[in-house]
This record gives sequence, C-alpha cells and structure tokens, in this order.
Amino acid sequence: MIRHLRACLVLLCQLPTVVTAQSPVPLTVEAALDREVVAPLLEAFERAHPDIALTYHDRSTLQVNQRARTANPAPDVVISSAMPWQMARVNEGLSQPLDSKTARNWPAWAKWRNEVFGFTFEPIVTVYRLDLARHMVPPSTHADMHSLLRTHQNLLRGRVTTYSPSASGIGLMLFQQDARYSPRFWDLVAAMGAADVSLENNTQAMLDGLTDGTYWLGYNLLGSYALLWARSHPELIVQIPQDYALVMMRMAFVHRDAPNAEAAKIFMDFLLGADGQRVLASDTPLFSVLPEVTGPYTAQRLRDQIGERLYPIPINASLLAFDDPLRRKLFMKRWSREINILGP
Amino acid sequence: MIVVEGSLKKSLAGWLLATVGILGTFLLIEAYTSAERAANHAYDSQLEAASLTIAEAVQWQDGQPVVEIPAAAFQILATDQQERVFYTLLNASGQQVTGNLDAEMTASLRTTFSNGPVWTFAQNQDSRIRMYGRELKSVGWESTEPVQIWVGHTVSGRDALATELFLATLTRFLTMVVLTAVLSILAIRMALHPVHRLRRTLRRRHADDVSPLDARVPGELYELLETLNALFERQRQGRNTLLRFTADASHQLKTPLAGLQSASELALMSDNPEDWRQALQTVHDSSERTSRLAGQLLSLARLRHGSGESQTRLDLADLLRETVMEWAERDAAQNHDLGLTALPNRPVYILGEPWSLREMISNLIDNALRYTPAGCDVTLSLEPTAKLITLTIEDTGPGVSEDMLDRLHQPFERNGRQDTAGSGLGLAIVDSIARMHNATLLIRSEPSQGLCIDIQFPALPEVA
Repeated sequence: MIRHLRACLVLLCQLPTVVTAQSPVPLTVEAALDREVVAPLLEAFERAHPDIALTYHDRSTLQVNQRARTANPAPDVVISSAMPWQMARVNEGLSQPLDSKTARNWPAWAKWRNEVFGFTFEPIVTVYRLDLARHMVPPSTHADMHSLLRTHQNLLRGRVTTYSPSASGIGLMLFQQDARYSPRFWDLVAAMGAADVSLENNTQAMLDGLTDGTYWLGYNLLGSYALLWARSHPELIVQIPQDYALVMMRMAFVHRDAPNAEAAKIFMDFLLGADGQRVLASDTPLFSVLPEVTGPYTAQRLRDQIGERLYPIPINASLLAFDDPLRRKLFMKRWSREINILGP
Repeated sequence: MIVVEGSLKKSLAGWLLATVGILGTFLLIEAYTSAERAANHAYDSQLEAASLTIAEAVQWQDGQPVVEIPAAAFQILATDQQERVFYTLLNASGQQVTGNLDAEMTASLRTTFSNGPVWTFAQNQDSRIRMYGRELKSVGWESTEPVQIWVGHTVSGRDALATELFLATLTRFLTMVVLTAVLSILAIRMALHPVHRLRRTLRRRHADDVSPLDARVPGELYELLETLNALFERQRQGRNTLLRFTADASHQLKTPLAGLQSASELALMSDNPEDWRQALQTVHDSSERTSRLAGQLLSLARLRHGSGESQTRLDLADLLRETVMEWAERDAAQNHDLGLTALPNRPVYILGEPWSLREMISNLIDNALRYTPAGCDVTLSLEPTAKLITLTIEDTGPGVSEDMLDRLHQPFERNGRQDTAGSGLGLAIVDSIARMHNATLLIRSEPSQGLCIDIQFPALPEVA
C-alpha cells in the first residue's frame, strides 16, 4: 500500500517535467550574415514557429568556419558567405542531407548534394560617392574602373577601397572569381595598387569610409549591405557592374552533429520555403532565389534588370579549388606582386 | 493399389525451380560483379581525367612543385552524382604539397608506383571512397623529382549505377523465368495430351475386350502400351484356359451324371428289386466317382488361385515317408508293390505347404496305382543335392508315348485311356502344386520301362 502511494507521489512529481518537455526546442544558428539585415526573416520564423527557441549568432566567416569544425556541441545550422569554406565543410561530411519537398524543389544550380543550399542572391557591386561623379564619369564596368584609375590616378589616390584578400574570406573568393573570369583583373589590381588602395575587412567598414568621405570609390562590396545602406545615405550610389556582376550566395547547411536536427530542418525548410523567401524578397536586400517569389529583391527581377551579365558563383565542387591552400598561397603571392607592380 | 506420388507438373516445377535457383544464383552473382565492374570502369575514367587535369597544372618553382588546382578537376571528380571529392599531392619525400585529406589518410596513401597507377578503395571517416594515385615525373629547371597525385571520390554514383545495371539484369532474368514457367506449363500440357488420349481410349473399352490396343502414341509411351498389350494377351490366355477348364469340367461331370440318370431310369422301369439294388450300386459307385471328381476340381481351382502364403519350413523326407506309409496300408495299394527307397538320414528341408505337398504325393501315387496294371512296382525316392531336391516316382507300367509327355500334366488328360476310374486331373494338380513351390515337373518315359516323374524342389539353405 505504501509502495503504491509512493509510486503515485513519484508520478505526481514527474508531471511538471512532462509539461516542461513541451517548452520551446532550442535551435542554434551560427551565421556570417548581419543580424540587422536578416532580422525580418528571423522574426518571421519565430512567429511561424513559437515552439522553437532560436539562438542566432552573428559572427565573421572565419569564426563560423571555426565553430562548424570544432564547436561542441555543434551548431544546428551553419550559414556563411564564405562559399569555398562552406563547400569544403560539406565535402568533409560535416553536413547532413535535407530530404524535404522544399529542399527537393530548390533550384539545382543553388544546391549541392541536397546538403548545402545557396539561399540568397547578392550581387557584388561598386559603390561611389557623388563627389566622384562631379569629377568624372562614374564607372559602370570593370574596364571603366581600370581606365578611371589610370586617368585619374592622382585624384583617386587613397580614395579607393576594396576587400583585403588576406583578411577576408569573401574578399579572397571574389578576387579569385574575378581572376578566373578575366586576366585583365590583374591590371585592375595593379591600377588599384598604384592608387594606393585601402584594404578593408568587411563591406560595412568600406561603407563607413565612403560615408565619411574617406573613400570615393569602393570595389567589390556586398550588394545586399550596400543597397540597404544607400537607402539612408543618398550621397552613395550603388552600381552593379554592367559587363559582368558576380553574385554571391549565402550557403546554409544542417550540421551533421546538430543536437536539434529536427528544429534545424524546420528552420531550413522555412528558409528555403516560399514564406522565408518572400520575406527575403520584400523585407531584406538579400534577394530571393526562388523564381516564383515576387518582391523588390528577387533574383528574377535582378536578372530582368541586368540580364545575362549576372555571374552567380557556382555552387559545385569547383568551389573547392578556391579553398585549396596552395592555390590560395599562389593567388596571394601574385596579388602582392601585382598590387605593388606599378609602385604607389 | 494406386498410390499417387506427386505429379508431373509438380516435379517439373520443382526441377525448374531448382534450375532457376542454382543457375539464377550463379547468373545473378555474375551480373552483380559485372555491374560493379562496369560502374567502376565508368567512374574510374572520371578519376583518371581529373588526375590528368591536375597533372597538367603541376609546375616546378624554386625546387618545389606548385600547382594551381584547376576548378574543372573538381567538377570532373564530383561527377554528375555530386560525389564528395578528395585529393592530395605528395612530393618525393611523401609530404603533402596540397590537398584536403587528413594526415592519417595521407600517410596511408604513401606508396611507390613501381607498377604504374594505383586504384584502391579506402575508408575515409564514415564513407567508402575510391582513390586513384599516379606518379608524375615532372620536368623542371632545377628538379625532376616525382610528384604523387591522388584523387578520389565517394562511391554513391558507382553504387547507384551498379544497382541500376543489376536491377536491369534481374528484371530480364525474372522475365525469362516467368516465360520459361509459362512455356513449361504449356509444354507439360502438350506432352501429357497423348496420355489423356490413351486414358480416354482405355475408358471406352468394354470390360471383356482383351484385344491389343490400337493407338498412336509418342515413343516414350510405347513401352507402356506394349506392356499393356502383353497384359491383355495374358488376360486373354487366362480367360481361354478358364473357359476350356470350365468346358472340360462340365463335360467330365456330365458323363457320370448321365450314367446316374440312365441307371436310375432303368431301375424305375423295372419291378425287380434285384435290378434296383444293382442300379443303386451303380448310382453309388458313380456318385462316389463324381464326388471325387468334384473334390479334385475344387482342389485344382483352389490351387490355381493359391498364393503360397502359408508356406513353412518342413522336412520333405519325413512328409514323404508318412504319406507313403499311409498309402501302403490302403486297399488300393494292395495289388501293387508300393515301395520307398532309402531316404537320406538327415532332414531335407524345403519351404512348403504340408497339406498341398501331401496332396501332391497322394496324387502321384494314386495316378501310378490307377494307370498301371496290377503287380507293377511303384517306387518313390528322394535325392537331395546342394541346389536341388528331387522327388522321384517311377513305375514299371507301360509308360506313355513321346508326344503325350508334354500334355500329361494338363487337366482331363488321361493318356487317351478311358478304362480307369481316373478323372485326368491328378497330374494337373501335381503340376499346380509343383509350380506353387517353385518346383519343376519332369516326366520321362521309355515304353519298356514305365513312367518316371521327377519333381525338383529348390533346396533351402541349411539353418544352423
């Protein structure tokens, strides 16, 4: 009898635990994607899934890469703009496949192995101050930029900024892509070197420099950040190069050792689904990849405007070449040689 | 009794299943390995192409191999199946120049390429990968040291292709099996058609129809049909024998019955009691003969249907002695010299029925007494050898002619003599009993020396 009573008591004591089991499931997202930019998407997700407690860490690409490799417990979802690194982690087997209808419907050119998905479509842009336009015809192509740097070398000296390939994964990747498409890129590098180019670590630093007038011309900025910034800074003009415009895609994958794989998959489904992409298209400058989604920021609309000159960095195994240590080393060696070749 | 033991269809199906099972196993194993081989072959060429692309990019600078890994190499490596890709470049001292394999994996790959390129399957963490390694003897201004190029990828594409190829073969094989089964069933139906036809022919026959079958059958059934015809022939003979026997028996019975009738009619017409008495005597004698005849017919019929199942081991010498002694005391033997030669002093065992053997000996003695004139000798003897036991009865009577010898043992055969009270069944009974005991009846006769009958029994092995 006493034993029965005790069993009942134990059962009663356990009841609250059962209730707490229905409390929100944690979900950790490690992302190299500014929180301010992506906030509407995160809010929409939290509204749609109140049962998931989302923890969003906004870090640098380097940190995200590091955490994906070594963090214990592993993050649930890894988002980064360092495409070669993301690809290398997936190739290492750090991801798990996403087997949902949304994932299957995702355009084949924007995913790899159904494990990693490029979910944004961010053009790489040139940003200049109106000051520049007062002295010269603003550049609309890479060739324009090259000739501008040659012809207005003195005027532009110290007023040009771009990514530092040694300090930024995105910067290195973008320059590698540039070099891949045209050997004349190295002339541009040499010209920028001659103009005493300032190398910054991220787009925001370049935007800040442009805003305060330190720089007149910024090369290879992330269009998503630049467009958002330019809305509140009318003195800056965002130019999508007219000869060819690189397009960067944030890549997201569910970590192989994700402690909350189910929640992670729900997050991915939201991210890749019509709801998430609609938020991207209308409330963020990240551009939606899905062709059926409408809004001011969609890949489709960008294509309609820029046409065939958009060059999305392909999400396939060739990305791994840009993570090859020797190739990186050789690129940096050439960069250092070219940037100093004309002398400051 | 007919015991249904399985069916042709079932046994054919069984054989088909066994063939399909054994042959199928071999075929499918072969199909599986060749599918794997084909898939590996297809994908290995991708590895070679990727390796070649990388080799093209290798250059020497400052005594070090440098390579700007071509992006296309990874595209080729990954194939359209989007395999995970692995590669490493090792210098002459085995150190990694570049690559994405961990140190442990790299260490395991170090090898010498004395026999050309190396293909291998390796385990990288949780996945199986196919690796291809080759040595590049690069030429540079300062150095000509070789570089090892290793490329590899996961095997999901190979597995998928192998499975696809295997499934195609499997489908073909199963289709073939189904077709074979259907054809086999049809073939069995066709093959069994003559049997059905034969069955119908047999069913249509009248019960007393014993003529040979007239049917068209395939070669395999010829033997069966021939056997059936032989059986019909034997039945026909048996029936003829029976008919003859019945006719003979009726005829035999008719004669004494006719005698009875005439004797009784004569007696009825007479008023003389003396005639009555004489007629009664005739009737008595005649009915006694008829009764004996009937008895013999009965025992002959019984013997002919006997099966010999109640045979036991018995001493033939003992039985012979008893029977002869018994006969010696009878009135019928008083006019003859009935004798028995010295019997072997040990028992002579055969398998037999005491009752029928006694009947046989009695018949032999009866015959001898009946068909020889008074005063003749009738001698019985028994001579056992290793294989045969010969029982002999000989008399000093007139014997029979040469051409009668073969017919003596047939029923109602009396050597053409009507002068005795015998029925002509005696030797027929003897013959039947001898057959029942697997014994041979031999009848010899030399006109001056009387008749000699040998009955040779197979000897029974001595039982310790």
